Amino acid sequence: MITPLAPYLPLAVVLLLAGLMAMAIPQLTTRLGPKRPSAIKSSPFEAGSESSGPARQRFAVKFYVVALLFIVFDVEAVFLYPWAVNFQALGWFGYVEMLVFAATLIVGLIYVWKKGALDWES
Amino acid sequence: MTLPNITLADFLPLLPALIMVVGASILLLSEVFLSSSASRGYQAVLTVATAVASGLTALGLMFEPPHAVFLGYGVLDPFSSFLTLVVCVGLALAALASVSFLRKRGAERGEFYALMLFASAGMSLLAMSAEFITLFVNLEVLSVATYALTAYLRRGTRPSEAGFKYFILGAFSSAVLLYGTALLYGATGTTKLADMAGPLSQALATAPALVYTGAILVAAGFAFKVAAVPFHMWTPDVYEGAPTPVTALMSAGVKAAAFAAMVRVFLTVGKGMDPHMPLALFSTLALLTMVVGNLLAIPQRNVKRMLAYSSIAHAGYLLLGVAALFVTAPGEHFRILGASALTGGTPLDVARSDALRGILYYLLAYTFSAVGAFALVSALERREDEDKGTAWDLERFSGLAQRRPGWAFAMTAFMLSLGGIPPTIGFMSKLLIFQSAIDVGLVGLTIVAVLSSAAGVYYYLRVVVYMFMRPVPEGAQTLERSWGTEVALVISTVAVVLLGIIPGRVSEWLAHAGTLFGQ
Amino acid sequence: MVPITYYLLLAAALFCMGMFGVLVRTNALVVFMCVELMLNAANLTFLAFARMHGDGIGHVSAFFVIAVAAAEAAIGLAIVIAVFRSRGTVNVDDIRTMKH
Repeated sequence: MITPLAPYLPLAVVLLLAGLMAMAIPQLTTRLGPKRPSAIKSSPFEAGSESSGPARQRFAVKFYVVALLFIVFDVEAVFLYPWAVNFQALGWFGYVEMLVFAATLIVGLIYVWKKGALDWES
Repeated sequence: MTLPNITLADFLPLLPALIMVVGASILLLSEVFLSSSASRGYQAVLTVATAVASGLTALGLMFEPPHAVFLGYGVLDPFSSFLTLVVCVGLALAALASVSFLRKRGAERGEFYALMLFASAGMSLLAMSAEFITLFVNLEVLSVATYALTAYLRRGTRPSEAGFKYFILGAFSSAVLLYGTALLYGATGTTKLADMAGPLSQALATAPALVYTGAILVAAGFAFKVAAVPFHMWTPDVYEGAPTPVTALMSAGVKAAAFAAMVRVFLTVGKGMDPHMPLALFSTLALLTMVVGNLLAIPQRNVKRMLAYSSIAHAGYLLLGVAALFVTAPGEHFRILGASALTGGTPLDVARSDALRGILYYLLAYTFSAVGAFALVSALERREDEDKGTAWDLERFSGLAQRRPGWAFAMTAFMLSLGGIPPTIGFMSKLLIFQSAIDVGLVGLTIVAVLSSAAGVYYYLRVVVYMFMRPVPEGAQTLERSWGTEVALVISTVAVVLLGIIPGRVSEWLAHAGTLFGQ
Repeated sequence: MVPITYYLLLAAALFCMGMFGVLVRTNALVVFMCVELMLNAANLTFLAFARMHGDGIGHVSAFFVIAVAAAEAAIGLAIVIAVFRSRGTVNVDDIRTMKH
């Protein structure tokens, strides 16, 4: 039987094998390998230096603010791409429209900037 | 590649929304250049001025002939212009009520007014959208701005809780609407409302499941936005937790715009479908919403929460008007009340136009009464009581008639209007809707509406009883006056009473506004 | 070539998973991710149908939906942060103080 998915069969076999391997190898090493635990061995490894504090630290809210701004401004670029591809065909009308679009974004940028949301240090 | 034919004339209908966006940008940019102690009194004034300018522009546009703009992605018709007018009224009144509300909390900022303007621009554009993606984007413009407004106050736990609930359920309903849109696009190959009807009737024969699932998901998405039962669970908490002026804008503007979009979508696309489906859908929603909204409002002692449930009930009466739009065979012998039988046209056209007018007038009436009532609630509440939950208790209204007779009179007018008692605008608009529903033969549903609105009178009049019959409680707070609230109260009281007696020019505009493009 | 139906079924499954997640999950961030899942299910449906109809409308729609979803994500995360700061939790069951 030939279904439309037939060409993907090798891919499925590879995925299956990879999954089996990923499950089997850690199992084998934990079962077969020798275990001689000591205090130093079971302490968390942190680039060779003494570990300090818990790993789950709170990030400053500033981090989130910058991340949020990044999402918004980054995704707006999605509209620039189709416009740039059709730049010749869209002509002056498209150019002016894109200027208006950019101006709207710039209003937002000025607001964010003056509000101090981009000052990482302060 | 041929260029789409867009001229400057296409931008004219956007003028009301553009004015609001420019006003909002000015407010945003001026805010960041002010020191934290600078006077911010100009912000409310600028917002009101913008709302008035934009409302007047919409009024001028109402007399333009209905036509499609931007290649059919939007339309300009008297219906959309009247709706923009309603939104501007709600915006101006809510902005006036915000002045003292924000000042008392030390939260007077340009962002608040800017967000209000952005939301209103979204509402205005939503009423004009004639294509599903345009509609979705505008719906999100207004929703995202309102989510931010709901969570605007950062003190206390209520605003962020309300903001979170509103955001999750709002985003959920938008996603449901969008998925329904995607299915309808699959069935028809277009997202323009006007082009959909034809392919839809063909698709109904080949893939009915796709069409019905799509239509029901779109309807469910809208039902969330207009807070129709059984999609109303978010309303009371969000209305209670949001800053009171924002609640006012939400109850008036967001609901009005969502209703306008829903009516346009189902009237235009519904042509390609079996008309019984939207009729059955909206009749059921109307029945549930009217009855449940009123029943839930009765036990409420918290006035803000009571108004939230009452707004659900009012959505029910509006849905009755929407259901009346989809009756295909009006009962000829019921046209006793219909004075418009004299104006000509087939009975169906007349009845439909009447129902459209009824919906618009109802939205205007509700805007004046509800925003006025919320303005008064915001004048009586104190920040300190919010976390205890007593800020909006009925006791607050005890003896108000002795302390502030003017306020008590205004609140009485709003309550009578919301309850649909003459001589108020609420009575007139309810009459118009019920009359058009009877004209098309929805007699049973109208009787339920009349009965449930009679039950509603109980909880509206209870507020009046507290104001006039109860003594002033001991140690009552002092009632501060502020110009913004006073102006908002005077305007809405005058409108509620005067338009109930002499509709005047408004009825002229209204007679005009029953025209939907392409109908 | 994979038939359109498979894409539609995948999208429907994603949509249902998202809807189910919004209704039953208690972590605010997971609820929020479920909403995004629903939006992306709609996107996939748009794209699948665009391929079926052979036009650009579905593609354009997907662009707009992505942009809107980003704005929604920004405001949603901001609100979740506000909730966390005022209560110290993002558990939906704890964000329920108003009486019903």
